[in-house]
Parts: sequence; structure tokens; C-alpha cells
Amino acid sequence: MFVFFSTCTVYLVLFGSTQADENSCGLSMTWLETVSVTMDVSKNGFHRDLVTTVDFGPGFPDGLEALLVHRLPSGIYIDQYQLASLKEDTGLQVLLGSAVDLEAPAHTSEEFLVLVYPALDQGILKATLPIHGRYHKPSLAGKRFELVEIKLPKLILRTDTCTQLISFPPYKIVDAPCTVHNLSICQWLEIQHLQEQDPVSLEIPLGDGSLVEPVCAGTLLVTLLCCVILSRSIWMHGVFLDNVILI
Amino acid sequence: MASIMERVLSKLMNKNVLFTVSFLVRLVLVSFGVYQDRTMVVKYTDVDYHVFTDASKFITQGQSPYHRSTYRYTPLLAWILTPNVYLSHVFGKLLFITCDVLSGHLIYLILRQRGLSCKAACRVCSLWLLNPLPAGVSSRGNAESVLTALVLATLLCLELRQIPMAAILYGLAVHMKIYPVTYALPIALSLQRKENVEERGVGWWRRALGFPLRLLNKELFLFAGVAGVVFCGLTVLFYNMYGWDFLQETYLYHLTRRDIRHNFSPYFYMLYLTADSPWSLALGLAAFLPQALLLFLVSLAFHTDLAFCCFLHTAIFVSFNKVCTSQYFLWYLCLFPLVLPRLTLSPKQGVELLALWFAGQGIWLAPAYYLEFEGYNTFLLIWLAGLMFLIINSFIMVQIITHYKPPDTTQRLKAE
Repeated sequence: MFVFFSTCTVYLVLFGSTQADENSCGLSMTWLETVSVTMDVSKNGFHRDLVTTVDFGPGFPDGLEALLVHRLPSGIYIDQYQLASLKEDTGLQVLLGSAVDLEAPAHTSEEFLVLVYPALDQGILKATLPIHGRYHKPSLAGKRFELVEIKLPKLILRTDTCTQLISFPPYKIVDAPCTVHNLSICQWLEIQHLQEQDPVSLEIPLGDGSLVEPVCAGTLLVTLLCCVILSRSIWMHGVFLDNVILI
Repeated sequence: MASIMERVLSKLMNKNVLFTVSFLVRLVLVSFGVYQDRTMVVKYTDVDYHVFTDASKFITQGQSPYHRSTYRYTPLLAWILTPNVYLSHVFGKLLFITCDVLSGHLIYLILRQRGLSCKAACRVCSLWLLNPLPAGVSSRGNAESVLTALVLATLLCLELRQIPMAAILYGLAVHMKIYPVTYALPIALSLQRKENVEERGVGWWRRALGFPLRLLNKELFLFAGVAGVVFCGLTVLFYNMYGWDFLQETYLYHLTRRDIRHNFSPYFYMLYLTADSPWSLALGLAAFLPQALLLFLVSLAFHTDLAFCCFLHTAIFVSFNKVCTSQYFLWYLCLFPLVLPRLTLSPKQGVELLALWFAGQGIWLAPAYYLEFEGYNTFLLIWLAGLMFLIINSFIMVQIITHYKPPDTTQRLKAE
């Protein structure tokens, strides 16, 4: 009897002490502090890959779902049709916050939201998002490249086993689609201590606005020259025959 | 080795063998494309093909094909490709390669109509049928071959003086893509009633007055009437079905298109730098004038040989256009085999001009690659390469015009 009682007490003490450290969703404070997000841009030119990696310590909770909330600048765009094709090929799961105009230049476009559901790849969560640079307004000051900055995404987490997230300060609770199929909204935990990394940036080449006069003059001169040469050739070798007005 | 090649080539120049082989080659390319799409990251199929198929899917669901962003074609195309959704994804490609081989056959028929022997016609046709460019383009799922078939069929019907059929095909061609509308003037001039002996004898001012009367004849009215009915009928039908979107995406977008992204056009950089400036409209007009003038001159100068006239028309239109992509080249390449028998260029000169044309594209493609895929600022080089390409195209056209020999005039007059 006494053994049972003491066992119960020990068990209660142990259970009680972890109560403050873990909420009912299996996400422990200590484990959450090991989570970090890194972002990198690979490739060159107008077509790049945005690689986001979520690192964490041991003790990966069962049924953990992660969601990266990217707020992408107007200087780049994402091709939703390319995403649809990649979804079939590589399983990339992405939800676009709004329709993206594939052809508009940067100064007529806006920031947009992208939700990426990273996949587990050899013990880390990773997602590779193909992004494309937009054409920017030509520079007047001789600047040859425009720096487009991409801020770190927000990371939000939840577990499958969870139906109701209890408030778990300092982490905020946010609502977001449960899966990429966007059929229902779930509650997620926002991990906020990650904002230490500097934003990544990529360079987009710019036209040189200071050359507008020589370019216009040069273009019109060459096209006029070609027009004159062709006209002369047509005039000399043309079979005008029935066109009385010119003969 | 050389004799084996000769024997193979002579066997190939048999009409049935040539067409069968061309179709099989394209079939193999389509099959390879299906395999590549399934297994490799870089896809064989062109983006446009997916655009067409997505638009067809919307149609099968009873919606407008214009819900598919970047679908800038006639709804007719999406309607024709609905078997892509119902039967097989590869139906469209099979249709396009069939139209491609059909274009080759139409070239053959026109050449035979002009008096070439079967063997000579086959040799010239093989420039299209065994050419990797049209074979590649249609097997990748681009719809250009439908248009080339329509344009060639129009020319064949005009050659055979089948005016109503020619007008129907022409109306359809203009509905599908705007550029054949530039052929209206040469066609009108070619349909004019020929002067008879008495009319030639009077003073020039009387002949000048007689010109509009000879131009506005029964055949022209028939052609214009039928083509107009077909074009307007299709426009009204699709406007009723899909509203303003149809007009905007199929026609207005292409007419007002100001693509500031890099392309072969000599005007690209000028339009990019002045995109938001008040001079933009004036410059657009300045760019349009050389094109218009040259098209007008070519119509007057060469309407007696409609195929040559249309070839020059399209080559000039594409070279002097504000936007130029490699797909546009097919629009005049399909007419080149019709022009070739009347050129006095030697094979060596022909190959040199061809090499020059490819070199012009290569000079542009190199800095364009470095801009798009390596991120170097090569805008100035691309601009200069675009101007160079225009100069090369103009030079090649001058060579073609200079070495063009029209069919013997006295023989033509005797025949009349």
C-alpha cells in the first residue's frame, strides 16, 4: 500500500514537474528552443532556388507538422504552374496567398504571401522553392544591379495529435491551413526566436536609364538604315508590272 | 560511304518515302518527349502546350478558357484540343505533327502546280519535312503548324484560283493569329483583273485611273466577302461566348504588346528604357513606320508571285517587329521552300546565308543566356546583338531579293 502510494507520489511529482515544460500537444519548451531556421538562395541569374532548412535537436515529436510563412518581395515572383508540376515530380507542397502576375515588372507588383509545407529529408525539414526575378525599372544613376532582399520566413508548428492548443507563452497561436489541400484551418504555434539571421539577398541586373538617348538614337538609326537599304533593293528589283501609278 | 549516302538520299526523294519518314521522325520525337517528361527534370514539352491543355480543361468544365492565365489564343484552339482531356494528353501533339507534315504536302502541291518535277519538288520539300526546327517545334506541342498549314492552303487555293475556299482558309488563319492580315494587300493586288492589250496602249494617267477599276473586281469582292464573313462570324460567336476577355487576350494583347523582357527585337532595349516615359507612344509609332512602309512596298513590288510576296512580308514583319521570339521564324520559314526554286543563289551562297542567320541568333543568345541564367548585366550587349541580327536579316533579304528571278514574263503574257 505504502509502495503504491509512494510510487503514485513520485509519479505525480514527475508528471507535475513536466506540466509547466510541455503542453498537451507534445511540444516541449526545451525542444522548441533547439529549433532554428536557415535560408539560402542558390543558382544565378533570374531563376533561383530559395532553400529553407529547419534544424532541431533530438526528440522530434510524433506527428509534427511545420509550415513556413514567406512574405516575398515584389522584386520576385513564383510561377504557380511550375509549382503544380513540381508538386507531382518532387512532392513540393506550396500554397500561394494570392494570384501572381508572371509578367508584370517589379514596380507594378506587390509583396505576396507563400505558405510552404517542408518535407522531412534525412532528419531535417527542408523546402526548395523556385523563384524568378522580375524586371525592374532601369536605373538612372548608373546602378547596374538591384538588390532584392528576402526576409526569413516565419515558422509555425503543430502536431497531428493536437486538437486544441493551449496558450503557451512566449509562443503565439496563429491560424493557418492544416495542409496544402487548404480544406480546413488549424491552430499553429509561432516560433519567434528565429529572427537573428540577416535577410538573404539576390542581385537582379538593371537596364541603364542614363543611356536612353544613345539607345533610342542608335536603334532608330539602324532600323531606318535597314529600311532604306531594303526599300532601295525592293525598288530596283521589284516586278511592279501592273502597278501603273509607279511606272 | 559517299555512294551509300547518295543512294539513301535518292531513295528518300521518293514522295511516299519522304512523307512517311517525316511523319515517323516526328512520331519518334513525340514519344521521346513523353518519356523525357516522365523521367527527367528538364521537360521536353513546351509550356504553351500545358497552357492549351489547361484551357481545354476549363472548356470541358463549361468555363472560359481565359481563366487560364497567359492563354492568349483563340478559343477555337482550346476547343480543338478538348480530346487532350477526354482521350489522351498526347492528342494535341499528334495533331500538330500531322499539320506539320500536311504543310510539307501543301508545299509539294504548290511547287508541282508551278511546274516543278516530282523529284525537284521532293528535294525542296525536304527542307521543311526533314528540318529539325519545325519537327522539334510541333513535337514539343506548339501550335504554329496549324497556322502554317492554313496559310499554305490559302496560297494553294489562290494558285488554283479557288477563291471561296481560299477566302475561308484565310479568314480562319487571320482569326487564329493576326499576322496573316498583312497578306490582304498582296492578295488584293494579285486578284486584280489583268490589263488587256487596248488598255496598255493609252497614256499613263488613263492607266492610273483604270487601276482602281481593275483592282475592285468580282473576285476581290468574293474573296473579301467570304473571308470577312468567316472572320466576323467567328469573332461574334466567341465574343458572345466569352465576352471581352476573348477580344482582349486573342487580339488586343498582341496588338498593344510591349514586352520589355529581352527578345530578338532590335527595339527591345529602347522599349525597356522608355517603358514609363511620355515618349513611349511616339517611339512605338516610330517603330511601326518602317515596318508599314516596307510591307506596302513589297506588296506593290512582288504581288505577282504571291508566295514570294508573303515570304518577304512575314520576314520583314518579324524582323522589324517590337517583339520577336524564335517561334515567329516558322511563319516565314514555311514559305521559304516556295521561294527557293526562283532564286539564282548557288548552294554555296545559300549555305553561307544560312550560316550567317544562325550566327546572328548565336550572337544574341550568348549574352541573353548570361543575363538570364548567370545574372550578368549584359543588356548593352543584347541590344547591340539585336541590332546586328536586324542588319543580318536585312542583308539576307536583300540577297534574296537581288537573286530572285520571276517566272518568264513573256511566257506569262502568251499564256494569257
